[in-house]
Amino acid sequence: MRTFKNNLKDFLIETFMDWDKMQLLISFVVLLLIGLSPLVVKSPYYMGIIILTTLYIFLGISWNIVAGFAGQLLIAHIIFLAVGAYTTIVLNNTYGVSPWIGLPLAGVVAAILGVIVSFITLRYGLKMDYFALFTIALMVALKTLFQKWKFVGGAVGMWVRLNNPSWEKMIFKAKEPYLYIALGLVVIGLLIQYRIYKSKIGKYFLAIREDEDAAEALGINTAFYKTLAVVIGAALAGVGGGFYVMYVNFVEPLQVFNLGLNVEILMAAPIIGGLGSLAGPVLGGILNKPIVEFIRGTLAAERSGTSLIVYGTFLIISILFMPQGVTGVFYKIYLKLRDRYVKEEL
Amino acid sequence: MSSHIFMQTIVNGLFTGGIYALVAIGLTLIYGVMSILNFAHGEFLMLGMYVAYWSFTLLGLDPYLSIPIAAVLIFLVGAFIQRGLVQRVADSHPLSQIILLLGVSMLIMGLVQFFWTADPKMIHVPYETEVFIWQDLRFSIPRTVAFFTAMFSALLLYLFLQFTRTGKAIRAVSQSKDGALLMGIDVKFIYMLTFGIGAAVTAIGGVVLTPNYRMTPTFGQAFGVIAFVVVVLGTMGNFIGAFLGGLIIGVVEAFAGFYLGGDVKIIASMLVFIIILMFKPSGLFGGKNA
Amino acid sequence: MPILKVNNITKRFGGLLAVHDLSLTVEKGEILGLIGPNGAGKTTAFNMISGYYEPNQGQIIFDGQDITGLRPDEICKLGLVRTFQVVKPFYQLSVLDNVMVGAYNCTNKNNIAKEKSEEILEFLGMTDLSDHLARNLSVVGRKRLEIARVLASEPKMILFDEAMAGLRPTETDEIIELVRQISQQGIALLLVEHVMKVIMSLSDRIVVIHHGEKIAEGKPQQIVRDDAVIDAYLGEVTTDVAS
Repeated sequence: MRTFKNNLKDFLIETFMDWDKMQLLISFVVLLLIGLSPLVVKSPYYMGIIILTTLYIFLGISWNIVAGFAGQLLIAHIIFLAVGAYTTIVLNNTYGVSPWIGLPLAGVVAAILGVIVSFITLRYGLKMDYFALFTIALMVALKTLFQKWKFVGGAVGMWVRLNNPSWEKMIFKAKEPYLYIALGLVVIGLLIQYRIYKSKIGKYFLAIREDEDAAEALGINTAFYKTLAVVIGAALAGVGGGFYVMYVNFVEPLQVFNLGLNVEILMAAPIIGGLGSLAGPVLGGILNKPIVEFIRGTLAAERSGTSLIVYGTFLIISILFMPQGVTGVFYKIYLKLRDRYVKEEL
Repeated sequence: MSSHIFMQTIVNGLFTGGIYALVAIGLTLIYGVMSILNFAHGEFLMLGMYVAYWSFTLLGLDPYLSIPIAAVLIFLVGAFIQRGLVQRVADSHPLSQIILLLGVSMLIMGLVQFFWTADPKMIHVPYETEVFIWQDLRFSIPRTVAFFTAMFSALLLYLFLQFTRTGKAIRAVSQSKDGALLMGIDVKFIYMLTFGIGAAVTAIGGVVLTPNYRMTPTFGQAFGVIAFVVVVLGTMGNFIGAFLGGLIIGVVEAFAGFYLGGDVKIIASMLVFIIILMFKPSGLFGGKNA
Repeated sequence: MPILKVNNITKRFGGLLAVHDLSLTVEKGEILGLIGPNGAGKTTAFNMISGYYEPNQGQIIFDGQDITGLRPDEICKLGLVRTFQVVKPFYQLSVLDNVMVGAYNCTNKNNIAKEKSEEILEFLGMTDLSDHLARNLSVVGRKRLEIARVLASEPKMILFDEAMAGLRPTETDEIIELVRQISQQGIALLLVEHVMKVIMSLSDRIVVIHHGEKIAEGKPQQIVRDDAVIDAYLGEVTTDVAS
């Protein structure tokens, strides 16, 4: 019993001394709270907000890897989510494929699009601003194409074919199962994010973000790693898109090929939480959607435009005053606590 | 396509293109001087439209008379945004600048929507349906006036940049920030001024559109994207390029609209854009490297 | 066999002939200095050897392999690395992480990269700076970091691009000593430099280029007396100076 206690103590201290591990710990604590929320939250409306918040955390991780770790100016990341959503719904409606298979396939299709985007970008030397514009132009072009493409429902979009609720079809009457699937995705996402961050791949991503020339001079094949970042981000966003469509139950071009939605569900959480940090998507995620809903519900009395105002303000404040995000604020507190602890120990 | 329809399409295209040109000129000016892609650019156009709307509704002013009002107001908005917000991230990672301007864009759209709702608004002027016919071609009066106003504004701006002291200072900064500093030019002030001018010019474009279009808070988004296409086509930072590029894109779009239908004509611009990015990213007037 | 053999490389930029028919060799473990007046073509030659420019003509052979036209990262993997005149640290990363990026050139494993990096930092006396962010380092600290990073990639040869630029005399002495220690480990070095003291005290041999062409080659004592060199630097030769 004594050795277990000692081991536990050592483990906790070791975790405490490592900010990366602490971020992971904080993230899992948040997830635990989210997982326990059905015990206290009974209203479907609030549960809906929690589910979307959880999904946005997962989506935030996908963008965090591409833009936060690797510094790629991938603005219209939502194209991968959209393609993933459409893949899942088409497989489900037209081919009767279960969404449980549809979700991974959505990731694959999105990853393929990611490869194409990367290839064009690298082949034609689209750097920085040009890359950002290219992704936006691609989004608008895809929107127009999908609006005209009858197979995916054209401008009207598609509704998920609602059979009887079942786990196999990923259709549920209650909200809670959706929450647990979303949580499952976030757990996987956090683990992937952490493993990448601590590995050679992660360091290479960061190096590319900081200085591409220096990275190349140190033996990094920047073309390969930039593509890898985009593909990983795309795949995760695609899977997220698959879940998104199964939860929201419909998809249409104007909804998903939309920069506003892009900011809301992919960018806001990591930016507020701290772009490039491990806990960023989580800490930003639990703030952004709930606050927006709160403001929209109470202060603004449901007037339209509120979420735009709140997101816009969040982005501006984050960039100007909290470039390291909420995680950065926590980090400063953490450093003080750690210093105090170290001093006490010595 | 008969030659008559052909000519009419070209006229329509040029008229729309004139507005694109004006908006793109504002955007390329900002980029040329500060190397910033103004992701909030379309919103300045939208604000111009709303200024025209309120001048008309509250003061009974014909939209063309509210051009000075819009120009001054939006100039101030632009200058404030640059000085107060954009300048602070001048040395940060480009991603920060883009995110900041996206935030500004959303904030502006949100505020407009919050105060004035998302319901489309229209101005009705007595001459809005008048046309004159020349050589069998229809020229809508409002659109013709819009076109020539846009051309005139572009010309004024060009003369300003070429012949006034401030204009030359702006051009100096766009060529070499350090050189300009050495010459004693207050570069930060020029940045603020340029952003304001870019915004004002775009707002004028918005004002002249009001007799023909319904305005909504998100109206500027499409124009913003097209402005980027034009700027890249005409070479980023190049005034003449933006001007010609605007006209070209306007015409391309008009033909695309004829063959493909109005709601998807934007894909023509996107395809043009993607092709330029791939094969000549430095634009019509660019050198060997982007 | 020399570790680096540059054969008749030429680089044109439009109408400008920046480097013309330049050849040089560097033996294993040798320190070669590359000097010349401003605009002589040193940087262009440097960038060709390190893979940032492709020569219009000529060949570059490193450790027996033709590296002409290879990408910088491919060249690094073969054991030829470079530093940057204006240092390029990974600002937001810690000193240790910076060096680890270099160390990953030779391994995929985290612990090996970390160990190697810690070794290098110790060699450079920077261990207590491990957790500091690169952007908080002093100028000379950043230069040391640049060198540490490059060492971690286990190079056979390092190209130094004006490593002493921007340093004060005491700091310069520090780096000179460091470069000497690196050379003693058997790593070949090519130094592009302006600061005469550095070149003279470190180089085994010197190559002088002017207007893109080699005008002299030899041991430091010979170069200092060479008419062509003096001419290039001073603009004219007088018998008084030469004797």
